[in-house]
Formats: sequence, C-alpha cells, structure tokens
Amino acid sequence: MLNKIPLLNNFLNKVIQTPEGLVIRWRIILPVFALLLISLITLKHTGDTQTLLTSTYYKQYIWLGLGTLVFITMQWFRFQFFQEYAYHLYILLFLFIVITYFMPAIGGAKRWLILGPFTFQPSEIGKLFLVFALARYLAEQQNRKREIPVMIITLLMAIMPAYLVFKQPDFGTAIVYGFIAIPMLYWSGIRSFYLFSVIAPVISIIAAFNLLIFSIWMTVLLVIIYFSQPRIIHGVAHFIANISCGIMAPYIWNNILYHHQKERILTLLNPMRDPQGAGYQVIQSIIAIGSGGLWGKGPGQGTQTQLRYLPVRDTDFIISVIGEEMGLAGIFIILFCFFIMLYWIITYAASISNRFSSLVLVGFVSILFIHFTVNLGMTVGLLPVTGLPAPFLSYGGSFLLTCTIILAMVNSIINHHI
Amino acid sequence: MLHKDRKLIIFLAGIFLIIFFRFYFLQIQQQQEYEKKAGGNSIRNIILNAPRGIIFDRNHNPIVDNRQIYDLSLIPFDVTEHFNYTLFEKVTGLEVNKIAESVKKKKNSFYRFRPFTVKRHIDFEKRSQLEENKLDLPGMIFSEFPARTYPDSAKLTHVLGYLRVVTEESAINPPVDLKYKLGDVFGFSGIEKMYESSLRGKDGTEYRLVDIYGIDHGVLAENPGTLPVPGEHLILSIDAKMQALVEKLFLDKKGAVVALAPATGEVLAIHSAPDYNLDSFAGPVPIELWEGWNSDPDKPLLNRVVQGLYPPGSTMKLAAAALAVEKKKVSTDWKVHCSGVYGFGDRNFHCWNTAGHGEVDLNLAIQQSCNVYFYHLMQKLSFEEWRDMVEQFHFGEKTGIDILGEKKGNVPNKDYMNSRYGRYGWAAGNLLTFIIGQGDVLVTPLQVAQFMSLIATDGNTYQPHLVKNQDTPAVQVHLQQNTWEFIQKATWNVVNHKEGTGKQAAVKGGGVHGKTGTAQNPHGDDHSWFAGFMNVKDKPIISLAVIVEHGGKGSVEAASISRKIFQYAEQNSPFK
Repeated sequence: MLNKIPLLNNFLNKVIQTPEGLVIRWRIILPVFALLLISLITLKHTGDTQTLLTSTYYKQYIWLGLGTLVFITMQWFRFQFFQEYAYHLYILLFLFIVITYFMPAIGGAKRWLILGPFTFQPSEIGKLFLVFALARYLAEQQNRKREIPVMIITLLMAIMPAYLVFKQPDFGTAIVYGFIAIPMLYWSGIRSFYLFSVIAPVISIIAAFNLLIFSIWMTVLLVIIYFSQPRIIHGVAHFIANISCGIMAPYIWNNILYHHQKERILTLLNPMRDPQGAGYQVIQSIIAIGSGGLWGKGPGQGTQTQLRYLPVRDTDFIISVIGEEMGLAGIFIILFCFFIMLYWIITYAASISNRFSSLVLVGFVSILFIHFTVNLGMTVGLLPVTGLPAPFLSYGGSFLLTCTIILAMVNSIINHHI
Repeated sequence: MLHKDRKLIIFLAGIFLIIFFRFYFLQIQQQQEYEKKAGGNSIRNIILNAPRGIIFDRNHNPIVDNRQIYDLSLIPFDVTEHFNYTLFEKVTGLEVNKIAESVKKKKNSFYRFRPFTVKRHIDFEKRSQLEENKLDLPGMIFSEFPARTYPDSAKLTHVLGYLRVVTEESAINPPVDLKYKLGDVFGFSGIEKMYESSLRGKDGTEYRLVDIYGIDHGVLAENPGTLPVPGEHLILSIDAKMQALVEKLFLDKKGAVVALAPATGEVLAIHSAPDYNLDSFAGPVPIELWEGWNSDPDKPLLNRVVQGLYPPGSTMKLAAAALAVEKKKVSTDWKVHCSGVYGFGDRNFHCWNTAGHGEVDLNLAIQQSCNVYFYHLMQKLSFEEWRDMVEQFHFGEKTGIDILGEKKGNVPNKDYMNSRYGRYGWAAGNLLTFIIGQGDVLVTPLQVAQFMSLIATDGNTYQPHLVKNQDTPAVQVHLQQNTWEFIQKATWNVVNHKEGTGKQAAVKGGGVHGKTGTAQNPHGDDHSWFAGFMNVKDKPIISLAVIVEHGGKGSVEAASISRKIFQYAEQNSPFK
C-alpha cells in the first residue's frame, strides 16, 4: 500500500524508505526476547507497590509496547539520512549538552533538558549521533597514509563530547562516548599498533599508582614497541609519552577527578573501605549474587533483594536480583543470549561492504557491549559503580528506547544490504 | 591471519568468559559463605571507645579509673514497623512522638544507617532493662560512654581535672589536632587536659552484620575494623595516703599545701582547699552547680597551690639572710638590738613581738623571726642585690610544673615600683616591707616549697612535676657551702630550738627544718605560713609549703599541719 503513496516532498523522500516487507532478523531479535523475558520475570517481583500506575513491572510493558512501535516504524526510516546529516546531528548533540549546563540540577547533576513536565537526556540519544558521526568520518577516509591524523581526529571527535558529558557530571556516559571510538577505529582498518598507542597511555596512567606494576608495564611496552618496529623517532616518542602519562597521573588524581569519582575508584579497589556508603551497594549485590548458587532461589524468593537491602534493584542492579533468584544458570543464559546477539551483528557487519553501514553496526555493538560489561562488572565488584544500566534488562524507559532504536536500525541496515 | 570480525568476536568472548568466571567464583565457589550472610542483614558501624588511660599514684594505686555509662541510639534503617514505641516510652521516659517522626524522616535520607542518639548517660541497669526487650526494639543500639570514677580516698581534685563531652552547642573547643567527633570526651582541665594526647588512646571501629530483627550476626569478616588503642596509663608522683591525709587536715580550712621530694622535684602531695567534687562531672555538669562554684567567694575552682598569690611573709627573710652570708654583708655574729619597733623616716616599723627580742644575731633573728634585725640588715643591702637573690631562688617565674594555669607571682623591681606608685610615690620604706616578705612581693605556695627544696639540697633540685619518669630539668642555685650550712642550721633552730617560732612542726627524730611566716591580709585575718623540709639520716626526703588562710599570726596552725605531714613522711620513708 505504501508503494502507492506518492512521495511529493523531497525531504520525506530522504527520510522514508519503502522496504518490500517487514523482515526480522530472528538470529538477533530472539536472544533479545529472551533477555526481555528474564527482565520481566524479575521485575514482576521487585516492585515496591504492585499497582498499575506505579509498578515498574507494568510500566515496563508500556515501554515495551512503545519500543515495538518504534522498532516497526523505524523499518520505514531511511537510515542513509543519518549518514547525510551525521555532522549536523553531531553539532546538535554539542548544543544540547551545553544547554543542559544551564538547566536546573537533578540529584546534583545537570544532564537533562527540562521543558515543563518533560525531561530529556540528550546524551542518551547522543550515543547514536556519535556513532553516526564517527562512522561517516571513518567511512570517508580511505587513504592509508593518513592513518595517524585520522585516528587523532576520530579520538578528538569522541573525547570532546565525552568531556562535556563528564562535566555534567555523568561518568558512565562519558566512558561510553570514549569507548565507542576504539572498536570503530579498529574496524576501519587502522593498524593495531596505532590503536595500541592510544590504549597504552591509559594503562600507563592506571599503572602509575604502583611502582612495581608501572615498571613491569614499561618493560612490556618496550618489548611491544620493539617488535612492532616503528620508526626510531616514533618508538622513542611513544615511550616518552607513556612515561609522562604515568607521571601526570597523580596530578590528575589530585586535581581533576571529583571526590565522588575518586571514592568510586577507591571503593572499586576495595568496596569494604566504606561498607555503609560507597561500598554498600556492591557488598549487598555480591552477597545477593553469591547466595544465589547454581539455580538461584526462585523468582521473587531472593531474601536480599526482596527485603530491600539492595537499593536500585530494578534498574542498575537488576543483575544482582537475577543472580540471586535465577543463579548462575540465569546469568549464563543472559551472557549467552547477549553474546549470540553481538556475534550476529558483527558477522553481518563483516559481510556488508558499505563502510558507513558496517561501521555503524560496530558502533552499536560497542554501545551495547560497554553498557553490558560495565553493568555486570559493577554488580560483582570488578568495575566501578558508574550507573550504566544493562541493555534489555534494567528497567528504565529512555534507555530501553535507545536500545530498541539500535536494534531497529541494525535490522534495517542488515535488510538494506543483505 | 584471522579476519577482524573473528578477532573482535574472540575478544568479546574473552570478556564474557571473565565475567562468567567471576559469577562462577561467587555463586559456586563462595556460595555457602554468602548464603550465610544473606537472609536479611545490614551492616552496622560501631565505634569502639578506647579506654582512657588510668591514673595511678606512685605506689600504683588507681586514683582515676574508668567506668561505663551508656548512650542510647537508634539506627533509622533498622527501626521497623515492629518497633514498640509504647514500651520504649515506658522504659526510657522519652517523648516518643518526636523520635518516631525523625526516624521516619531519616529512613529516607542519606543518614539512614547512621545511629542517632536519643538519650545520653543511661546506667547499666536501664540498659539491661532495654536489652531484655531487644526483639521489640529493632534498631536500638548502645554506645559506651567513658566516664571517670575516683576510687581512692585521695581526691586530688584540682590536679586531676575533669572531662567534657564534645557537643554541637558547646562553645568549648577541644584541641583540633586530635580529631574529635560529637559525643567524644576530652580532658577539659588539669592532668586530664595536660596529658590528653596520651590518655585518650585511639578509638576503634567495628562493622557488624545485623539482621532486620536486630539480631547480631557478628563481625563482618571482610573488614573486622580496627581495635581501639587504649590510652596510656599515667603514674603520678603523688603518694595517695599522704594526699588523703593532707585533704583530711584541710577539711574545714582554706589554704594550700604542697609537698615535694627535694631530690627529684616529684610532687608528693598537693592540695588546695576548698575543693569540689569531681564525681559530679561524670556526665554533663549541671549548670547550677557550675555557676555556684564559679561565684563562690571561697573560690573552690582556684588551685591555690599554683594560682594563689600570697605575700611570703617571714619565709622570705631566708633569702635576705642567704644574701647577707653569701656576700658577707654582715658577719653572722653582727648583733642588733630589737626593742620591738624600728623608726625609719617618719614611720615606725614594728616587730611582731612588740616587747622586743633584745640582742639578736642573724641566727636568732631567723629563729625568732625578728623583723627589726632585718630592717637593720636591709640598710646594708641594695634593692637590686636583694631582688637578684630572690630571683635566683626562682621567685617571680613559673616553676614549670605540669599543671595548667600556673601563676608566676611578683618580685618587684625599680621599674615595677615606678610604674605602680609613680617615681616619687615609693621610698626605701617599701623595701623594709619587702625584706620581711610583705607588700608587693607575691608568691605561690609551690614556689615556696621549691625554695625549701633548694635549701634542703644545697641548691640542687629538679623542676616540680606530677607525672613520674619524665626528663625533668634541673633547678639550681649556686651559693657557697657555708651559706647553705648557715641557712640549714638556722632553719633547724626555728623548729627545734625551744624558743623557735616553728616548734609546732617538730617531730621526734629532729630532722625538720623550716620557717614560719605571716602573710598580711588587708581583707581579714592574716594567713599563716609554714615552709620547711625534713632530713632523715641527713638526707632531705620532703620539703613542703603550707598556707592556712586566715590562720592568724604565730603560724601555729600551719606548723602543726606540717608536723602531721612530716610524721607521716618519717614513718613511710623512703618513698618508692
């Protein structure tokens, strides 16, 4: 029927596409259904009050319905639009984030645009805009000789909004922004050694807090540099840069990081530092997960989580509830489903020859992956508590919507090329 | 070479494996451990108060010990709907409506795990009563609050000082460098304040697992907290029995006593009367009590030993005598006729014995405390020489004893007199009052006792101190041996000669030396002094200064109090 609608407007023509039918890539979507199911079973029992309007469980259904609608609608959306307007959207993101600085703070942070009763967190959808901008830029760079400038520009494109978000302050989203660029650079075909040059200073900074580790790392670095056989001048510059990063680290620690960020990092290293404050959630989360065992205590039977020792149990720490109630088995299913989903997206991305589309898919993989890993890592005390929710598992409308849009675009892109 | 998509997938798989193994480790390897902790627990932070150091006397009898009273607190997070407020009200007598409201408020705040105090200073009995109903009162905890108790009959009130609580309202600022928190106690005066940093110790902390019914599941294994470090004990040089005796002797009197060990500078006994009851300071000090002491004309809060300024009276004659002998101003057999009065300028200066002492030499003048002899002697001395000698004996400066608030007294010089009375407002007549220790000469009893220690040890004693085993600076006076011997002989005569003014202080062994004195008091009866020391087997074992306010002339009272102290010292020497 849509075929028959005359597309008079040029703009609409750009935005709307007419697929031959609604093709769903079940290899990707089915694992997501499994994740959503686990999430719903868990949410059913965590709600404070089980009334229709206040329960996170019922509200999640509403969000899911909305998500489905968005998913289907997106299939008629011409994603090339995002390639064409990638830089416009990227600049829009900057504008929005800067505007948030002038908005009233909610819970001590200025992350939201507030328009009357509506609040909107631009950095959320901004994750996608950043992927588009990076993908377009990298897609247009084919000249192997310009690798280093390309890499630097790409990193700057990611780090600038990351820094703005970090200042809101929103440590978690800043990590996402910073991270996205790395796999995309890798995917664009940049030499691994260059990528290593980017990651190495980060490790140097972390290693600098312990002299022994720093010495070992410097040795490793020398070996890698030697075997990568760069030009002498590059190798030496590389080494000096890393050493200076190590020396700078204490300065950054003392002068740039916020107190609560330092606390988070220190509490990550030892959550027992502050068992009633920063480490409280992590300790309770570990106790909940650890007591779950292989099969868990059964949905709704988790003593830790149901007795409300665990705050934010239906958002950031839903994994703790799942770990307690469904045990290692539940966790395994989640890891498995997530892996399958990412596996197929990457596999499709590899077989798409369009550089932009391929890079966008890898960017989306990066977003989902970093959220998932950081969230699971923090619930078991491996990574700092940054407030990143778990994709398709945590309750939360706007993030679920972002994930749905990602999924819809993945589906749409794959359909377009394959 | 693998394709980059394979590499990326392997990388993802690797990360997922790490995460999986972490879950495996927690859920399979350590499952039993966490299962124990689950089932509804919360973590409670308990401050373990470090016991304050105990204060002992020189024979290791405790003078200040610790006893526990308790503060009752609630942890809002743990106060459930099962909390029986009616019962709580019945036992504690507290207005519970307000408490329930603030619990409710705090339950949603950041402080929901922080105990807040609802009642302070409850005793052990009340605590037991509440503990019995623990199951009906979830979230209730007690913290120990260290109070002091004074087990010995020796009270040592002014020296020991007392503790106070760090409160929000309190305008009193404890030393900041020791990092106090609300509810801590700190030494507010006396030894407690002076040795605060060593007495205080270091509080410990403990994290305990407590379930929602308020039942304790023991210490958190991951972080058992830190143990409190008890405060260091203090051993005082005080002899508690002598101290108790001194306090008894002064029960209905006003005045001060201090007894020193001349060889070491150790304080054996120290007392200022009237005193007050330290036991009243166990909890908060009732304001009425405090203000009562503060406005009492008898000034019970004043430590007269180091803060009371008195004219030294005739005890000061010994300084002039020492000067006369040392500088050979007069020969020791230079005689003066005392008719009971001495005319100087247009004024008559009287001897205390208005009948007169007849022919007196220096020895006799000391023995009978003849003023007229010293008026004559003063004509041969200069103001500066006299003042130098008095200052050599460390008058006019703090002794440096480890008691706060020590005063330094006053030894007048020309500048002082000029500024006090104007250039022509004073005359040589004033000097006559100085040489007999009256007028502007002001000393503390402690300075007088140290003066006696110096005479007893030929000028080789140590700074007075209360806490044993310190590195104490030496206090020395360099005079010729024959000067010391003359003064020692003369002071022996004061006590042991049948016409000596200090006969009342004599003990059987005959080792007591001393000098009586009368401090003129324009506001009432004169104060009575006795200062002296006692040798046992030719070794000085004790020196002391006693002043009885309004004790009248003749020093009978001060001397007989001294005798009782000397008797005790003789029977109990040598001191350990």
